Amino acid sequence: MLERELTISNRLGLHARATAKLVQVLAPFRCNATLAAKGREVNAKSIMGVMLLAAGQGTPVFVRIDGEDETAAMEAVVSLFERRFDEDS
Amino acid sequence: MRLLLSGHGASRGNALGRARVRHPHALEVVEHRIDADAVERELAQLHAAVDATREEMQAMRQKLRGALAKEVGEFLDLHALLLDDPELLRGLDDLIRTGRYGADYALRLQRDRLAAVFEAMDDAYLKSRMDDLDHVIGRIHAHLQARAGELAGVAGDILVTDNVAPSELAQLQAQGVVAIVTSAGSPLSHSAILARSLHLPLVVGVAGALQKINDGDALIVDGGNGRVVVEPDAGDLRGHRERLRELAREQRELGRLRGKPTRTRDGTDIVLLANAESRDDVANAHALGAAGLGLYRTEFLFLQRNELPDEEEQFRNYRDIVLGMSGRAVTIRTLDLGADKADRTGLVLQGEDNPALGLRGVRLSLSRHGVFDTQLRAILRASGYGPVRILVPMVSGRGELLAVRRRIRQVRANLRKQGHAVADDIALGAMIEVPAAAIAAHALADVVDFLSIGTNDLVQYLLAADRNNESLGELYSPLHPGVLRLLRHVIRIGEEHKVPVAVCGEIAGDARFAPMLLALGLTEFSLHPDLLLEVRRAIRDCDRAALQARADKLLQARDRAGIERWLAANT
Repeated sequence: MLERELTISNRLGLHARATAKLVQVLAPFRCNATLAAKGREVNAKSIMGVMLLAAGQGTPVFVRIDGEDETAAMEAVVSLFERRFDEDS
Repeated sequence: MRLLLSGHGASRGNALGRARVRHPHALEVVEHRIDADAVERELAQLHAAVDATREEMQAMRQKLRGALAKEVGEFLDLHALLLDDPELLRGLDDLIRTGRYGADYALRLQRDRLAAVFEAMDDAYLKSRMDDLDHVIGRIHAHLQARAGELAGVAGDILVTDNVAPSELAQLQAQGVVAIVTSAGSPLSHSAILARSLHLPLVVGVAGALQKINDGDALIVDGGNGRVVVEPDAGDLRGHRERLRELAREQRELGRLRGKPTRTRDGTDIVLLANAESRDDVANAHALGAAGLGLYRTEFLFLQRNELPDEEEQFRNYRDIVLGMSGRAVTIRTLDLGADKADRTGLVLQGEDNPALGLRGVRLSLSRHGVFDTQLRAILRASGYGPVRILVPMVSGRGELLAVRRRIRQVRANLRKQGHAVADDIALGAMIEVPAAAIAAHALADVVDFLSIGTNDLVQYLLAADRNNESLGELYSPLHPGVLRLLRHVIRIGEEHKVPVAVCGEIAGDARFAPMLLALGLTEFSLHPDLLLEVRRAIRDCDRAALQARADKLLQARDRAGIERWLAANT
């Protein structure tokens, strides 16, 4: 199991577009992934779950990934956060 | 009883029909429980409905093309993710399996459960995502009830609803809905844009529409002025018939302009070119008598796919367009992609801090010689089949044009060596979108054969206002004295250097602005083929010399209101 703390750095936070990106990035992996913030933990492969976290810019989130392809999945997630969800802001 | 309601006209057109009221989250399902042996059947029905909804969305996705694919596609992608969301589906399965609820009722419970969470959020944007979820759940529900047929038999009806999603418009129209009235929504929404392109009358923001209109009421809808008459009287019906006759007359008059020249009252011929991105557009442009294509966008060959189109595929596409215009000039714009219009091929760098000011247009082409040469080869090969011009986007200075010319020379020499027919004289033009290129247009004049002002981007860069940013309100507008003065400047430079100048942004396709553009000296308009006849009619009503005599007055306007006053006085 891998765990990382990441910070939401795009201006809009985890809004529909960024959330969709995260869910799409994780979709091809077989591992389980969760996101925790503000005392709640949600399924990171669920767009609804992630949107309901309502994590805005600057919020620290804990990513937990568990499964055979966890390393690659974590890399993909970290890279997406670092690219600020490909937003221009 | 007769009732007059008013909202905002979002898509023009007039319709008379029976009201079909669709209440929001119309999941008025009574609680019902099922027996243990019915669980699998209910689950199967639910999953079949989800599958049907997914297929419907995919079919819709494939129908979209061009600019709409980008705009509306994002909503469809979001809806597709919501549909397959594990939270949604697992919750539903549990409700049926453990709670022993019927599929309908489980859907309703799940909806209410999620709605409660969304409602509790203090973020207006996220709150409004509930609309997306409601749309998805509504579609599943409709499929569950398919036998009952939620919206079956709507042919000839006018849909009255709280809001309509872009993704359902085409289908509603196909089912026979003749107009739509919504209690919420905005004329600037994606739905409104799509409704206009479908020619489906739409009135939005009719307060209380759902309460005041009953299922089965007769309605008259005027998508032009946003008026809705409930249970019209004899006078209303007469008015409606007159309006229809008027529209038909207008259409006939426009139709008569098909083969007519675009000549002003005082005898100047104006060149009307078409903007196109598909073969349908090209056929339309040809039929309506466009003088040629002023802008053929090539991005759509590159978007929504995982690998770059090869030379052969591009060549066949361009050749089809050249042949489709049968001898009239076709202006092919080289790839105009940037990080905001990203492809999936990895061609465009993602994650630029400021994609509007980044590696895009000709900058991207010149940084990726392989990709650019492939496109140039395809274009030059197509030039063997009819007149072709090349238009380069996002030019900021002459260096870029000289570099493009060098590449064209080299590609042409190679093609000839390989035995391909290539035209000798392929005109090269620059898009004027970068303010510096507009101001220093004289510096481009000797290295181009024509200029095309892309006002959509030019206005955005000039006013430093993103036109998709709703919080900027009306800041983004071509009716700014700075914009008009710059247009005048570029057109003047074109006249001095004998370089033809066209405008290919949206203002060229707006008949209201034709007198203004003529006053500024413009003689070439490039616009969407659907707008060609309207603009031709407007130009034929203009006296160009008289307008030009009043150009100074226009250029002295100090704000938008001043420009609008000038327009009102000269129309």
